[in-house]
Amino acid sequence: MSTEAIPAERPKRNYNALFGLTLLALLVLLWIILSVATPSFASANNISNLLRQGSMIAILAVGQTFVIITGGIDLSVGAVVGFATVIVAMLINAGVPVFLAILVTLLVGVAIGMFHGFGIVRMGLPPFIITLATLTSLRGIGLLMTNGNSISINNDAFQLFSRSSFLGVPNLFWMVILVGIPAYIFLHHSRWGRYLFSVGSNAEASRLSGVNVQRTIYMAYTLSGLCAAFVGVLLASRIGIGNPTQAEGWELQAIASSVIGGTSLFGAVGSVHGPLLGAFILATINNGANLLNVNAFWQRIITGVLIIVIVYFDGLRRRGK
Amino acid sequence: MTSTAQELHPALTLEPGRTILELKGLEKRYPGTHALKPVNLAFKASEIHAIVGENGAGKSTLIKLLTGVMPRTSGDVIWEGKPAALATPHEAMALGINAVHQEVVLCRHLTVAANMFLGEEDSRFGILQQRAMVREAQKIIDDLGFDLPAHVVLGDLTIGQQQLIAAARATVRGTKFLIFDEPTAYLTRKEADQLFTLIRRLKGEGVTIIYISHRMEEVFELADRVSVLRDGTLVGTRNIAETNDAELVKMMINRSIEQVYHKEHFTPGATLLEARNLSGKGFENVSMTVRAGEIVGLYGLIGAGRSEFVTTLYGRHRKSAGQILWEGKEVQVNSEHDAIRLGMALAPESRRDQGLCLNLPVGLNLNLPIYKRISSNLLISSAQEKTEADRQIANLRIKTPTRNALASSLSGGNQQKIVIGRWLAHGAKLFIFDEPTVGVDVGTKAEIYRLFGELLSKGAGIILISSYLPEVYELADTLHVFRRGKLVATHGFRTANHEDILNQALAEKQEKPGGQI
Repeated sequence: MSTEAIPAERPKRNYNALFGLTLLALLVLLWIILSVATPSFASANNISNLLRQGSMIAILAVGQTFVIITGGIDLSVGAVVGFATVIVAMLINAGVPVFLAILVTLLVGVAIGMFHGFGIVRMGLPPFIITLATLTSLRGIGLLMTNGNSISINNDAFQLFSRSSFLGVPNLFWMVILVGIPAYIFLHHSRWGRYLFSVGSNAEASRLSGVNVQRTIYMAYTLSGLCAAFVGVLLASRIGIGNPTQAEGWELQAIASSVIGGTSLFGAVGSVHGPLLGAFILATINNGANLLNVNAFWQRIITGVLIIVIVYFDGLRRRGK
Repeated sequence: MTSTAQELHPALTLEPGRTILELKGLEKRYPGTHALKPVNLAFKASEIHAIVGENGAGKSTLIKLLTGVMPRTSGDVIWEGKPAALATPHEAMALGINAVHQEVVLCRHLTVAANMFLGEEDSRFGILQQRAMVREAQKIIDDLGFDLPAHVVLGDLTIGQQQLIAAARATVRGTKFLIFDEPTAYLTRKEADQLFTLIRRLKGEGVTIIYISHRMEEVFELADRVSVLRDGTLVGTRNIAETNDAELVKMMINRSIEQVYHKEHFTPGATLLEARNLSGKGFENVSMTVRAGEIVGLYGLIGAGRSEFVTTLYGRHRKSAGQILWEGKEVQVNSEHDAIRLGMALAPESRRDQGLCLNLPVGLNLNLPIYKRISSNLLISSAQEKTEADRQIANLRIKTPTRNALASSLSGGNQQKIVIGRWLAHGAKLFIFDEPTVGVDVGTKAEIYRLFGELLSKGAGIILISSYLPEVYELADTLHVFRRGKLVATHGFRTANHEDILNQALAEKQEKPGGQI
């Protein structure tokens, strides 16, 4: 460490807010451009659709961000979503009351997250490995349970939920708010939120300061599992089937949203609003590209380029130049 | 002093006493800080030039400018009579300017030999000549008189040994100008002696050495000349024979040396902590007590078991035998959490690895142990969070623009104040300070010692670990000497002399290389 006074960096809180505003500006800019470029973009129908499309990745990205802040990664979330659609579909079709079926599905998500915590804390496995292992095995377990078939859910009320709106806003988007507000308070205004940051920054220093590092890691992965299971319930409601191969690659979209939203893969840097904005920026690009009849293959390329550009500029600014 | 632009071939041996590097009005400004005010200084070939100054005086800035890590704001650097831009580290190295940093910046997972030749590997048709490199590296190491193996993985050596390798590495690269930044901070006395031998030898070969240290006795042992920096200004340069300790300290801090070791004596109160025949990883059968109002010093070489002993008290490691008593009752300390709940606080040895969350704000670092207290249920009271942080910043005179500045942006001494300061609000009764003043300047040292006095006056007890004898000698009411995991001697306040304590810590045998813990 240098023994000199280096001029202090700009206060962090301001920086976070500034970055959030930049993302918001980018999102609004995209919306304005698309509204001008295509007549159908600004229609109420399309906006609702866009909000629905972005909602699920947004919720996944919030859970993912908790994990990334501790310096870890959760590759299993897509598989957990698929697996959760199977669990909730089977339970509902078996006649279990819907609220109970949802509760059990969420608990399954919690259990998967706890298992990740166990693998990392007790078995000493790298997060990348343990979550990669559950990614492939959960898909396998789901396929075994369904024999490789889709399960149609025979409950109209359950399916109606994700298609309805409240106060003109799609229910799925309300779910983002339902998750986002507690998540924001948890991460930025609670003790455990601070511990997520401190563990991601320096686990040893946190431990010596009395922070329960193991519990913090358990908590991060459990929350990520819970968010993923919740998204699984929403997805099952939206498409009306349980299928373990659903949500393929969503973990990467969740990570991409989080990173676009300013989360550092090295840990200790991140927010809740950033990943939410990131998810809707990605959703807008996909939606707009569809409306503009851009080849779907191009959408993936655009997403990749966007990740590089945003993270590059974010990095530049973080270094203070 | 200037050597006019004579055409000199770089390979030409330098005549001693000729100016090799000259700084003319060298200056560095950061936004808001004038880190280095225009400096005029000439370095001669084959001299050991010490640079001393408090943290933040501009020493590191100067090094960064000379090694091309940062661009200067204005001024000229004349290298062998010609202006040098020194815009990149590569350019500095090409000229023959190298630096050995306080903290080892090498690859811990590679072998010693691989590190020695990093970037200049010997390969034939693209295939690394590993055995040849190990042989070559071993030859260099043996030649320098370091008793170290070249084939082992660097991370298996002690930090001191790694530092020697870093120094050895710098010498084999056609170096003409070598900067040592606090090289002995983590070295044992024997390792330091080896390093000094190396430095003197380099001087004999015509290399110019810049030696930065907080340890005055080293400056007087090694240097030919010494320059003092204060607040970014070059206060003066002296020939070592024409100055003394007191003058240098006065130049550095405008304060006399007696004011540094500020020792207050209190009547010891009740016993806080007792270790009975405690054994664990790295130490055996250690018994001692710590009472309220006293400083118990643990002196010994790095790796003698002192840190392992205190981290076991603190619940970081499991004890294998013996008892820990807290306020007279036997306790089981199974985790740091248990220790903190009892009323212990630990400021660990390495700020960087164990002490701070560097990329998080100062305020968060200060409040880390007390978040439980300043939050109701789970929600943090942001008002309390702010006042607690600001109070500690003011109390400890931590130099930071705001509590939201990142810990990494502070100087070493101020970082150390955070590590110590975070426990003050916590209300601990027993403070364990592990090497609290490594890499800290005299002024900050004095502040830290004064803080000890404050803690004692409030009825706290202190365990002070140090490899720096004057520190424990001047401060500890009881001084325990550790050697290879055993407590070998105990002294009262200033009851033994330096020589005896040193001999007890060193004993007769030499340490084995690579034999860490």
